[in-house]
Amino acid sequence: MSTQVNDPAARQQGSALAIETRGLTKRFGERTAVDSVDLNVPRGSAFGFLGPNGAGKTTMIRMLLGLTHSSAGSASLLGHPVPAERAQALRGVGAIVEEPRFHPHLTGRENLRIVAAARGPEVRERIAPALARVGLADRAGEKVKKYSLGMRQRLGVARCLLADPQLLILDEPTNGLDPGGIQEFRLMIREMVEQEGRTVFLSSHLLDEVEKICDAAAIVDRGKVVTQGAIADLASGGGTAQHELILGVDDAELALSALGASELVREVHRSAEGLRVVLRGGPETAAAVNASLVGAGIGVLRLEPVRHSLEQRFLEITARLDASPEAEAERVKA
Amino acid sequence: MNATIAAQMTAADFLKLRRKRGTLIWALVLALAPVLIYFAVSALQHSSNPGKYGPAGGTHNFGDGLRFIALFTGPLAAVLIGVEAGTGDASAGVFRDLVVTGRSRLALFASRLPAALALCWLLMTLSYLLLIAGTFIFASGLPTPDTTLILNGLGFTLLATGAVCLVGVGLASLTTSKPAAITALIGWQLVVSPVIANIESLGSARKGLLSQALAHFSPVRVGDRGGTVTMSEGVAIVVVIVWIAVFLALGAWRTRTMDS
Repeated sequence: MSTQVNDPAARQQGSALAIETRGLTKRFGERTAVDSVDLNVPRGSAFGFLGPNGAGKTTMIRMLLGLTHSSAGSASLLGHPVPAERAQALRGVGAIVEEPRFHPHLTGRENLRIVAAARGPEVRERIAPALARVGLADRAGEKVKKYSLGMRQRLGVARCLLADPQLLILDEPTNGLDPGGIQEFRLMIREMVEQEGRTVFLSSHLLDEVEKICDAAAIVDRGKVVTQGAIADLASGGGTAQHELILGVDDAELALSALGASELVREVHRSAEGLRVVLRGGPETAAAVNASLVGAGIGVLRLEPVRHSLEQRFLEITARLDASPEAEAERVKA
Repeated sequence: MNATIAAQMTAADFLKLRRKRGTLIWALVLALAPVLIYFAVSALQHSSNPGKYGPAGGTHNFGDGLRFIALFTGPLAAVLIGVEAGTGDASAGVFRDLVVTGRSRLALFASRLPAALALCWLLMTLSYLLLIAGTFIFASGLPTPDTTLILNGLGFTLLATGAVCLVGVGLASLTTSKPAAITALIGWQLVVSPVIANIESLGSARKGLLSQALAHFSPVRVGDRGGTVTMSEGVAIVVVIVWIAVFLALGAWRTRTMDS
C-alpha cells in the first residue's frame, strides 16, 4: 500500500520518496514477471534498477507509468498513487521505455513538438533548450530516420526534459551510445541529480553503469527485488558482508600458521596477491590482526582491505539464487 | 483538457498526417486524378467526334463526377487518411511516449479525429473544386449547376468522405494494423458492399450499408451503380450515425485499454 495522507498536496510535498511500491506484481497467465516488489526510491538521488535481461525491469517500469496494469499491489510516483492520480504524477515525470521511438518521417524538433502539444502550451518553449542540452540543436531539423541510435537516445532524453521532470525514468538509456556518449550521459545524469535536485531511476543490466552513475540500487532477478540500498552497502553486502584483507608479509608460512590459530580470523589462504584473510569481525578487526602479526615477530609489508564491487555482489546473489533448490525447481517449472 | 491543448494536439496530429508523404501522395492521386482523367477523356472524345460525344462539362457530367468522387474514389482517399491517423502513433511506437505525458488516452484518440477530417476534407475540397472548374470550363453551352446544387454537392462530398474517414480512424485504432485496416475497408468499400447492395433478396437489410445510407444524401440522382436501396432520410441519418459511433467507440475502447 502507498503512504496514506488525506490531503493530496501535503502528501505530494511530504513524501520523501520519488517512487514507492508495495507488493507490486504483474502476471502474464501462469508466469509472474514482477513478483511482489517493494521499492523505495528517495528523492534527489540516482537509483539503479539492476538485473539481467528478462528480470522484469521493463515490466516494472511499464506498470509505474501506467502503460500496463498491475495484477496486484500499489505504487506511487512523487507522492501520487498510480493509476488513481496518474495524470498528476506523470506531469512531473519524463521517461524512456526500452528503445526511444519517434515518427521517422518527422524531424527531431517536430517529434518534440508533438509531445509538447500533449503536455501543455507552456512546454513548447522548452524544446530549444532541451535540444541544446543533449547536443542536437544543429541536427534538430533533420528527419529522425536519418538519426543514429545514439542520436535517438539523446533525442529521447530531450523528450524527457520537456516535462521539466522531478523524476526521470530511464530504461537501458545508454544502449547504442559510443564510449564518449556514455561518459557525457553519465555526467548529465549526475548534474541533474546533484545540481538540479532531480531523481533519476535508471534500469540497466550493466553493473558498471549503475555503479558509476547511481547512489543507490535495487538488484532484481526473476521478477523479485533481491536486495536494495546504497551502492556502497550493496557492494559490501551490508551487515552480512565478509570483510577481507590482502596481506603482504615477510614470512608467509609463519603468518599462515599464526592467522590460522587466531580467533580474529575466519579463514586464511594464499592468493596471487598475498595472503587473503577473511575476518570474523568488522573492518576495525584489521588493526588487531596487524598487531597480532607484529607481536608474533612477522613483518607486515602490506595490509589492504578488499574492495567489493557491485559486480561481485551481483554475481554472488545470482549464483546463490541459481544454487537454491527452490529457485532451480522454479526455473525448471518455468 | 482545455481548448488550447485540444487545438495543439489536433495540430500535432495534422502535422503527422500531412508530412506522411506516401499516404498523402496516394490520397491526392485518388482524390484528384479521377477528376482530371474524367474531364481529359471526355474532352478528347468530344473534340474528336462532337456528333457522338457531348461536351465534357455541364450539369449531367457534374452529376457523374460527383458520384464518382463522393462515393467511389473519395472514400478510398478517406480510408488511407483515416487509417494513417488511427495507426500512426502505434506503428511508429510512440503511443507509449504520448501516454507517459499523463494525457488521457481518450484525449489522444479524440485528437486524431479532427486532424484526419481536416486533411480529408482539404483534399476532397480540392477535388470538388476541380470538378466544378471542369463542369464550367467544358460546358460548351450546356446548362451548369446553380449555386444551391454546387453547395449541396460539396456538402454531400464532405459528408460521404468524412463518414468513411471516421470509420477508418475507428477501425484502425481498433486493429492497430495499417495493412489489416486498409485491406478490410477497401475490400468492403469496393467489393463486399456493392455485392450486398445488389442482392435483392436481402431486402431492407441492405439499408444498413453505409454506402447506401450516404448515397441517400446525394443532390443528384444516384443510378444503379451507386445506390439501389431506397430509404427515408431518418433511416439514412441513423445508419450513418450508427456506423460512425460504433467504430469510434471500438477504436476509443481499444486505445484506452491496450498495453502500450
